Amino acid sequence: MGALLKWSAGVALLCASQATTAATVGPVTDDLGVIRIAKGAPIQIGAYWVLSGADTALGLDEKRGVEIAFKDMGGKLLGHPLKLNAEDDGCNAEGGQTAATKLAANPQTVIVLGPACSSAATPGAPILWQQGIVDICTACTAPALTAPTRKKEYDGFARTVFSDSEQGKADATYVHNVLKAPSVVTIHDGSPYAQQLQQVMADNFRQLGGKVLSQEAIAPTDVDMKPLLTRIASEKPDLIYFPVFTAAAAQIVRQARGTPGLEKTKLMGGGSLLSADFIEAAGPAVVGFIIGYPDLSPEAMGKNYPKFVEEYKKAYNEAPISGYHANAYDGAMLAVKAIEKVAKTDKDGNLYIGKKALRDAVFATTFDGISGPIACDQYGECSQFKPSVLEFTSSDPKTFGVGKNPKKIWP
Amino acid sequence: MVGRNIARLNAVDVVLWGLRVGVVAVVVIGTVGTLIKGRYNAAQWFDFIMFGLTIGSIYAQIALGYTMVYGVLRLINFAHGDIVMTGAFAGYFVAMPLDRSGFLEDNPVLAMAAILLVAVIVSTSIAVLTERIAYRPFRRVVGLAPLICAIGVSFFLEQTFRGMFGSAVKSYPDPQWQRAAFHVFGFNVPRIDVLVIGLALIFMGLLYLIVQRTRMGTAMRAVAEDGEAAALMGIDVNKVVVFTFVLGGAMAGIAGVFYAFVYKQVYFLMGFTPGIKAFGAAVLGGIGNIPGAMLGGFFLGMVESVGPTLFLDGIGIPAPYQLRDLIAFTLLIMVLIFRPHGLLGEALAKKRA
Amino acid sequence: MMRRAALIGLAFGAGAVHLAAVGVLLAMHQRWIIVEALTLGQAALLLLAGGAGAMTRGPVMGALAGAAAGVPVVALLAAMSLVPLNSIFIALSHDLFNMLTLGVGLAAGVAILIGGGAIAGLVGVLLSNSSQMVRRAIFPGAISVVVAGVFQELIQLMLQQYEGPVGDFRDFIYTWEGLSLQGAIAIFVLAALLSEVFGFIWRMRAERTASHDHRRERMVRAGIALLILVLLPMLGGSYVGQVLMLVGLYILMGMGLNLEVGLAGLLDLGFVAFFAVGAYSTALLTAGSAHALMHLPYWAAMPVSVLLAVAVGVLFGLPVLGVRGDYLAVATMGLGEIVRVIVQSDFAAPLLGGAQGILEIPKPSIGNFVLGNPVSLFYLTLVASAVAAFVAWRLENSRLGRAWEALRDDEDVAQALGINLVRAKLLAYGLGAAFAGLAGSIFATMLTSVYPSSFQLLISINVLALIIVGGMGSLPGVVLGSIVLIGLPELLREFGEYRYLFYGAVLIVMMRLRPEGLWPSDVRQRELHAEDETLALDAGTDAVPAQPR
Repeated sequence: MGALLKWSAGVALLCASQATTAATVGPVTDDLGVIRIAKGAPIQIGAYWVLSGADTALGLDEKRGVEIAFKDMGGKLLGHPLKLNAEDDGCNAEGGQTAATKLAANPQTVIVLGPACSSAATPGAPILWQQGIVDICTACTAPALTAPTRKKEYDGFARTVFSDSEQGKADATYVHNVLKAPSVVTIHDGSPYAQQLQQVMADNFRQLGGKVLSQEAIAPTDVDMKPLLTRIASEKPDLIYFPVFTAAAAQIVRQARGTPGLEKTKLMGGGSLLSADFIEAAGPAVVGFIIGYPDLSPEAMGKNYPKFVEEYKKAYNEAPISGYHANAYDGAMLAVKAIEKVAKTDKDGNLYIGKKALRDAVFATTFDGISGPIACDQYGECSQFKPSVLEFTSSDPKTFGVGKNPKKIWP
Repeated sequence: MVGRNIARLNAVDVVLWGLRVGVVAVVVIGTVGTLIKGRYNAAQWFDFIMFGLTIGSIYAQIALGYTMVYGVLRLINFAHGDIVMTGAFAGYFVAMPLDRSGFLEDNPVLAMAAILLVAVIVSTSIAVLTERIAYRPFRRVVGLAPLICAIGVSFFLEQTFRGMFGSAVKSYPDPQWQRAAFHVFGFNVPRIDVLVIGLALIFMGLLYLIVQRTRMGTAMRAVAEDGEAAALMGIDVNKVVVFTFVLGGAMAGIAGVFYAFVYKQVYFLMGFTPGIKAFGAAVLGGIGNIPGAMLGGFFLGMVESVGPTLFLDGIGIPAPYQLRDLIAFTLLIMVLIFRPHGLLGEALAKKRA
Repeated sequence: MMRRAALIGLAFGAGAVHLAAVGVLLAMHQRWIIVEALTLGQAALLLLAGGAGAMTRGPVMGALAGAAAGVPVVALLAAMSLVPLNSIFIALSHDLFNMLTLGVGLAAGVAILIGGGAIAGLVGVLLSNSSQMVRRAIFPGAISVVVAGVFQELIQLMLQQYEGPVGDFRDFIYTWEGLSLQGAIAIFVLAALLSEVFGFIWRMRAERTASHDHRRERMVRAGIALLILVLLPMLGGSYVGQVLMLVGLYILMGMGLNLEVGLAGLLDLGFVAFFAVGAYSTALLTAGSAHALMHLPYWAAMPVSVLLAVAVGVLFGLPVLGVRGDYLAVATMGLGEIVRVIVQSDFAAPLLGGAQGILEIPKPSIGNFVLGNPVSLFYLTLVASAVAAFVAWRLENSRLGRAWEALRDDEDVAQALGINLVRAKLLAYGLGAAFAGLAGSIFATMLTSVYPSSFQLLISINVLALIIVGGMGSLPGVVLGSIVLIGLPELLREFGEYRYLFYGAVLIVMMRLRPEGLWPSDVRQRELHAEDETLALDAGTDAVPAQPR
């Protein structure tokens, strides 16, 4: 037994020695190693999202965002075709770890996009960074991932989506200072995202002097919200804050309208509801419903986002199915721009990319994305967070368009 | 040896009694606490009960399909919840054009009949097809292979519908006549709830009559009682099984449409959770027992709706509705401790061992 | 005769239409088997037409069936060009139309589909009627090409770490896009040759040892399989290690559930609860975060976690002692869900972390060496599985094991025989839970974090499915079942959204072909076989599924 353990430890040592080392390949020298892409071979960009199970729409939406970004590039970069290796992570930790391991095992993986869920990113990002691969997350919003206290193993992690801590604070400020609502009730669905966001919001709201009457929770598969809403109605809150996902949020919006005692209560949701799909799911009750979301600069947004939605509809035969396609598109653009900056071609047409250089380039690239301006800070927070509140104005899904429906009501 | 056996059994009994007393104590203390707090008025309690009856009537209809198939085949038809989903989808594709043309608003009865009819046709065809392709080969196979096959069918149906119609949540139309409410004695009774509960009761009554009074129903009960004897008596077992799936599939289709009209949403995984719950309801009532399934469905719906507030509010547990399933399943297990064969079931589980 | 062939063809064609409508066909079409020559989607269509042909007799019927298989597809194409079907069926896109017609327009496309179907059907029927010699060459060859083509990404990944002759071989058969034509031919010839040679040796041996020992044969095969399992992660690298590690965890859980369901006959759909207990115990005992109760080293936390799982298993068993059969399935499912709800709830969050889970669980270390990567953790799992397998094997043949079997066959008789039912049942739950607790403990340290979302009902279902697919009550069956049901979907990860479609189809097909499982225990096999014989006597109305030997 002991011998066996020792033997297996030896084997493991053997396998563990694949860690990254400084190298010079072709014209490039890099501390973390160099990827060589032969002439004509594709630039392989890895990705992991939730593509199966109940949250499929969330991940699939981001995958499509990236596919459209590649299409906009003409499918090519520096004369090499772009290839997306998308893996499924099931929105859980073990799936994230397995998918990241697979992507990290491919020495041709230049950079990785995704995942959608923070629980998948937590084990996934360090595995990728161990091989010197940068992970640009497109929808994981957990504050810890880009906190100044994050560990070194997350050095290669950046995201084109804002952190819950910013969003929750902004939402609390809006509700307290602008709406002047004295009391709120929050609801989450047991997902790390919603739980965290409502907690941050509630904490900030209390600090501002507001009253949090209760913090409720549901299961994401619940459809019958009326008992819960009746219970909440007995507390007479001025606002209900529920940053949950499309299906459950639509149920709350619909059913709150018919609940006695909640006639005057404002409803507020989160960024995952910014889609035509949600308007359809929530029906007529959606009018007047507000969500907190980063301010999207009208210039960038007005020009490119509607065009993006048109492309999306043409390509997939349905309107965007969830809320983070724009972040994914920008994530892909960030990756592509960074690669363009650091990649070097030799005289035979082979391409060389230094891993450390690519990491630095990702963290230094700035541009106007369709989800807002992109510029990373030293901890990988790349979307410039400017708070705003949007209000839905029509229940016709065809009218969906950020700026029109929902329209910006603050600031 | 015998003496030690008894001593051990007693220790187990003590634990079981402790458990029962504990659950009853939580229920009683919680209930009393909630009522003393007096946070909710009579109208709100009435609402809780209405919500419970509505979801309960849908559970009951789904549970019927489980229970009938179990009675005849001794098979847990794991894919039954997904049959509900197919019915809801079929109804959606009829309801949408009807809504757009204004027909649903102007002719509610005809429109609902059309929606239900198409939903039932689709769900029944899929149920029968499933039986033919996936379950019939297992008719005489002992063990759990049929159950695993049923799980496979469940995945297959879900993913097929996802692939065909997309993974987004689709929304049922919301005509004006469904949104209105009756006002009785100061209570607010939503019309859609009354409609769903009433129609569910009518359809379930109809089903009960079919099973009790028709030749086919009699044959079905005979097969459920003893398949081999029934076959010897000249009953075509295959026909009976198909008939059972037709009845179960039809009820599932109706339940799917009702579910979608109350909660307005269809998507590919919508059948899984209600399916699991209805399966619990069927067992709660005594699996194989038709009135039991109805009773179990209503019971489960009520517990889910009233339970968290009634039992947990008084004890001061945060976010009680997150624990909805916990309450439902705890009560389910308690029922099984007191009555191992469900509320109305008999000792038929032994046949399967 | 003709009607039958036509019907078979139509049924297979309907299958093709299903693939098209679900969107799989187009997704498969975007993947080469042989670069610039054959896509996976085209291969699937050919396979369906060929399969239809193979189920008939005679070349004419084969061609007819193959052509008939093209008819539903043609009908779909006609419908697509007449009605805008894709406003409802989102997968019926223009790209699909082009794929099915090969981009040459409707009329020519129809001719190609029907004609191609007929040829494929003809080939199918000829192959199924050909001599053993021919089949032994063609099938392994074709299968190898498909495997090499479909899993090219993975295989390239494995070969990428080698230089020299292996690297040259890789460059010979693969381009960066996939399998090259020369590579496909090479693999086909190689696999066909190997199959012929081994087939020849096999027959020689079979002739020499007239009454060859069936048991020994199986042992040898099991030994070879085990050896491959041990060596594969070393050769295949970290991703293969990671997949095998997950397979290993399911093997552990499968062996535990096998004690409950396979031996004691206690149907359990809440098995994930014990897995969760193991994982959370380890997390609470070792984590560096605020939720930790202690900061034990992993090797101390693991046995404690297992013991806690046993305790919960016994507690779990107590209330459902008197519940039998399918009632038990629901009761246990309820218990499993209760554990999941508690773990996720805000109510227990101060202790268990709620939705945010518990982070910063350290990796185990031996001396200064940290078992940090998937491969080293795989060997930890392997050692744990080996120990567990030994325990399970001893249990099976012990007094307790026989008591369990009596319990499974008939509870009342078992009681009459003087078996202490309470003790036997609680031990089954407790010992079964120990295996799952061990798996959970390793799981927690593998991820270095635990989240409630990892403990869904789906895990219980998967574990149950794998022991049934493997063959209930059989240890090698558990291993085989895990590899097929856990390993395969892992390898299909890149198919993302279609993963569970394949999974469902595999479950159905597997159960239809081998209801007794892939590697049933000897007892089980005899029982099922006896069942067949009585059924054959019985003038039953139903066809009994064939029992492939």
